[in-house]
Amino acid sequence: MSATTYGWLVLAFPLLGTLSSALGFRRLQGVSPRAPGWIGTGAIFLSFLASLGALIELQGQSPAHRQIVSSLWNYASTAGIDAQMSILVDPLSVFMILVVTGVSTLIHLYSISYMDGDRGYTRYFAYLNFFVFSMLLLVLAGNFVLLIVGWAFVGAASYLLISFWYRRTTATKAGIKAFVINVVGDVGLVLGTYFIFKHTGTLDLLHSFHATAAGAFGHGAENGDLVAGCLALLVGAFAKSAQIPLHTWLPDAMEGPTPVSSLIHAATMVTAGVYLIARMHPLFELATSAQDVGAIVGAATLLIAGTIGLAQTDIKRVIAYSTMSQIGYMIMGVSVGAYAAGMFHLMTHAFFKALLFMGAGSIIGAMAGEQSLDRMGGFRKAMPFTYGCFIIGGLALSGIPPFSGFFSKDEILLVTAERGGWHWALYVAGYIGAFLTAVYTFRMIFRAFHGEPVAEAREMIESHPPHLPHAELPRNPANGEEEDTDVGFPGDGHAIAERALPMRAAMAVLAVGAAGSGLLQIPKVDFVVDDFLKPSFGGSSLYATHTRNGLLVLGLGLGTVLGLLGIALAHRIWVVGGRDLKASSAIRARTRPLYELFVNKWYFDELIEMLLIRPAAAAGAFARDTFERLFVEETLIGGTTGIVRAGSAAVRAAQSGFVRYYAALLVLGVAGVGFYFLLQS
Amino acid sequence: MPALSIMLWLPAACGLLGALASSLLTRTGEPRQADAGEHPAGMAWSTPGVLALIGSLAALGLSIAYIADYSSGGASLQHVTDVVWISELGIHYKLAITGLNVFLLGLTTLLFAAATLAANIRSGSHPPDRPRLFYFHFMLAESAVLGAFLAQDLALFVSFFDLMLIPFYFLIGGWGREPGRVKATIKLVIYTLVGSLLMLAAAIATGVLAAQQGGGHITFVLSALHALPLSTGSQEWIFLFFAAAFLVKMPAFPLHGWMPDGYRAMPIEVLMVFSGVLSKVGAYGFLAIVLPLFPQAAVHFQTLMLLIALASILYGSAQAFSQSDARLIAGYSSVAQLGFITLGIFALNPQGAQGALLQMVNHGLVVAPLLFIVALLSQRAGGSEDVREMGGIAFRAPVLASIFLIVALATLAIPGSSNFVGEFLILLGVFKAKLAIAIIAFTGVVLASVYALRLFIRAMHNRVGRSVDSHEIGLMDGVVLVPLLAVIVFLALYPQFALHRSEGSVKAAVSQAFADGHREQGLPLAVCSKAYLKAFNTRPCVTGG
Repeated sequence: MSATTYGWLVLAFPLLGTLSSALGFRRLQGVSPRAPGWIGTGAIFLSFLASLGALIELQGQSPAHRQIVSSLWNYASTAGIDAQMSILVDPLSVFMILVVTGVSTLIHLYSISYMDGDRGYTRYFAYLNFFVFSMLLLVLAGNFVLLIVGWAFVGAASYLLISFWYRRTTATKAGIKAFVINVVGDVGLVLGTYFIFKHTGTLDLLHSFHATAAGAFGHGAENGDLVAGCLALLVGAFAKSAQIPLHTWLPDAMEGPTPVSSLIHAATMVTAGVYLIARMHPLFELATSAQDVGAIVGAATLLIAGTIGLAQTDIKRVIAYSTMSQIGYMIMGVSVGAYAAGMFHLMTHAFFKALLFMGAGSIIGAMAGEQSLDRMGGFRKAMPFTYGCFIIGGLALSGIPPFSGFFSKDEILLVTAERGGWHWALYVAGYIGAFLTAVYTFRMIFRAFHGEPVAEAREMIESHPPHLPHAELPRNPANGEEEDTDVGFPGDGHAIAERALPMRAAMAVLAVGAAGSGLLQIPKVDFVVDDFLKPSFGGSSLYATHTRNGLLVLGLGLGTVLGLLGIALAHRIWVVGGRDLKASSAIRARTRPLYELFVNKWYFDELIEMLLIRPAAAAGAFARDTFERLFVEETLIGGTTGIVRAGSAAVRAAQSGFVRYYAALLVLGVAGVGFYFLLQS
Repeated sequence: MPALSIMLWLPAACGLLGALASSLLTRTGEPRQADAGEHPAGMAWSTPGVLALIGSLAALGLSIAYIADYSSGGASLQHVTDVVWISELGIHYKLAITGLNVFLLGLTTLLFAAATLAANIRSGSHPPDRPRLFYFHFMLAESAVLGAFLAQDLALFVSFFDLMLIPFYFLIGGWGREPGRVKATIKLVIYTLVGSLLMLAAAIATGVLAAQQGGGHITFVLSALHALPLSTGSQEWIFLFFAAAFLVKMPAFPLHGWMPDGYRAMPIEVLMVFSGVLSKVGAYGFLAIVLPLFPQAAVHFQTLMLLIALASILYGSAQAFSQSDARLIAGYSSVAQLGFITLGIFALNPQGAQGALLQMVNHGLVVAPLLFIVALLSQRAGGSEDVREMGGIAFRAPVLASIFLIVALATLAIPGSSNFVGEFLILLGVFKAKLAIAIIAFTGVVLASVYALRLFIRAMHNRVGRSVDSHEIGLMDGVVLVPLLAVIVFLALYPQFALHRSEGSVKAAVSQAFADGHREQGLPLAVCSKAYLKAFNTRPCVTGG
């Protein structure tokens, strides 16, 4: 089979999985309670195997022929546009589908146990498969239209999963927020497509890149339309990848089940923006101002998200802000030309972040749904496996050698520094971010796992069943409304890794990846990712192997030292400082304004609320309550002087019913107009 | 293929036949009304209802056959029927299939078939009383709409356009919901009456002036009128008269005053076709009549029309996310969607017009099921159509929730739906014509996601409403919705099916306006507009290419 046939199979399996769960929802769970879970997992695993097939086929081609397009049918080609139902299989897309299907298979596997007993078990797997399908469509799309379709489907799938427990108003609010911000991103993508289409005259990705290389945007100075187009594409990338200021949906999206957070908000969906910029590199390299905007926003995001992560107490939100921060590195990387490094970090991050979320899910399961770090503590002995996974994930995230994050993050910063000039500012920001990362990561670990065991942890050590009895009526901690037992809610008896083999298996594989995947690309030793991706970046002027020794040593040393310092600081404050948080409250008291800024997430939500949502709502209310009544109803048609009032009076006076009146008027009108023109002629 | 007249008059004939047959069969004329009250499932097949259903299904079959038979590529008229109707006035009874109407005919027959079925089953509520009259009017309306789409003679188009309104006056006045039935009827009569009279005058003027221009016989046949272009000055006032009629019909801001009361009062199956099909007649009129006949006026008023469209998008969206009546949310969303369609038409280029035509079909395909779903929701929310009374309906109705979700996503034109392809083409057209307007119009895309999802969430998700008693969708309700859904999915996967067939006709329809617009742009703006203002009666800025 050819590589593209495998590509289509990669798409077909998750779609079939979705359809079989969606259409067979009444029967599947009758067969076996976990049948939908295994079908969903199997579908994604088959897709992973097909991805491997595509990889093998692709590597069998000579490097010059590793960009293959296959079209199934003509989607929309009219009036100058040429959209095919086509996929592009090349090293970049194969890299992405391998990461997506690989990590997703494990997350599905984890979910089989984690979601066990949930009322929406089948629905969950139908959504989850649809999500993976959408993400694969996004990365395999061979033209702009299909790319946008995958882009939007990912948004829709994430909406469905975020508001999975749809009786919780917090979940539905978070869902619509994610969806609408993603639509803003879609709009950016469409607008960017228009600007590019205007000059290249094609919607096919490769054709438009060729046209660009051939001078569709002119040579020499930057083309205004190209910059505008790339900036619009960046809006799309920022919305999907949760970059400032379009990031506010990501933390709220933690309303979804924890494996969903792991899938959507760590391993796959948020990486779409990184992929987009890498994919569009022939355009971005000619629009250097847009590249600079991407790099600066990425750097700002990684710093701001890092500071917010320091102050959050919800364990999932800490990881969510960490995701934002790490995606900031990737966006910065691909915007300065560190394509391979950015993709490399995307892969290692997928491993360790999915692992951290799974670990968090395990603790949340043990805490019966409680997510606050304030309530956790001392789980080290009770949950040794989860603790081990957390440590591996945390070390990888903090960039401690030889774990995977160490190699990938430092490579991004190395390439950034090699650009020279003001890029050194980005370099510094990156290392400040690395320090912050180590601090907030180990703050989370120390607070959850060290110190005095809380009641739940003690019970587990004494090997009682892990669940404390619920209060009579469980309540949503966010807004106090009663939970709905029909539809379900988080924490209603979810499994923990120590007692569920599928969860442990998934976490173990990820732990191996988080620990060891850095070895794929060790500076000066091997360049697996670099070499593999090279054919996709053939025309790039920035894609090169980097060899400046001094810088390399400086970076690796700096990364190690800052990471260890961060861990040491976290240890000093939250372990030595004691369980009662004396040390951290002392720091908080001394830095009150900063703390307020961080804990309130830099007030982005409030700002957007004030600038956009309130004015829009006010305009809507004005239109409904005032304008429509006064202008349309009164002046135009109603009231004492309106047309309708006058007309209806006439109707009443005629006492003849509307239709006779209408007919008469029609005849009169015809006669009158006809008479006029007869006179004229 | 059978003659077009058969498809055109078949529904009306079935309506008439049903009325007559049922009068002959049962003296009392209103059979089994009492029975229906005893069965809450409410299946109340009546002779007129069944005959109407047969007629509408037969028309649907014929229209599908015409779509299958349509030979794409050119812009020629197909299956032409041409008979002299009133020879003194040069009025022909001329019908034909073109790329512009072939899918709108399919849409019309599909929605009427679905609505007739919906009227027959009327699950949960009482069937229409006086079924003979109801179905007679309903089927007459279908024939009139088909006639308006098929007519290739201006006078014939105007006749069908007016004929189309009369059964709807009766349907609202006679079967509308209280309160507000009378008010709604009066508003609708007066708005559309004014529009119709203006259009009538404009149509007659077109014929007479064209005859003067040609120096010969008066004629209303469209193809003949194309060959006799009017002077710019005449084009302009005639354009405005037509525009008024069509904008009222769509409706566009600020001429939508009849819409809220009308939507609230109409029985749901009447509203399904009214919103799904009648609004398209206005848009179709712009594309098939106005643009080819008055291209210079279209260029002249392009900015005005684009601004009206933009206002409709923004105003409709703002209302749609503020209202709490589910019907009005659908109604105002239609104002916004028709705004997009107008935007595409007055981009005056092939992309915009192609998108607009596709979007006409798409909007009909989503708004009809949306309104039907609103009726299903209100059954489950204690009879209320207020979203504040709904909530949490999804739980015991997963199939209904899935159908609603697909319809809601298509309504907000999610990429991957055919609605997105339409919107993509429309906005691309506007992007090429007027960049700033395109960028503002994108706001409407974002707002659409707000109001469509808000409706879905408020109805299906969140806390359970006070008097909500949810249950799964019934089999017959499914039969109404599933065919519509199937077409939505088919077009989403293969929009080229529609685009390919309409391309030739659409290009022909906008070619003159497109050329005029570009001729105008070919000269320095100052020169051009001065010349334009000075001499209304001469063709301005003709530079020979």
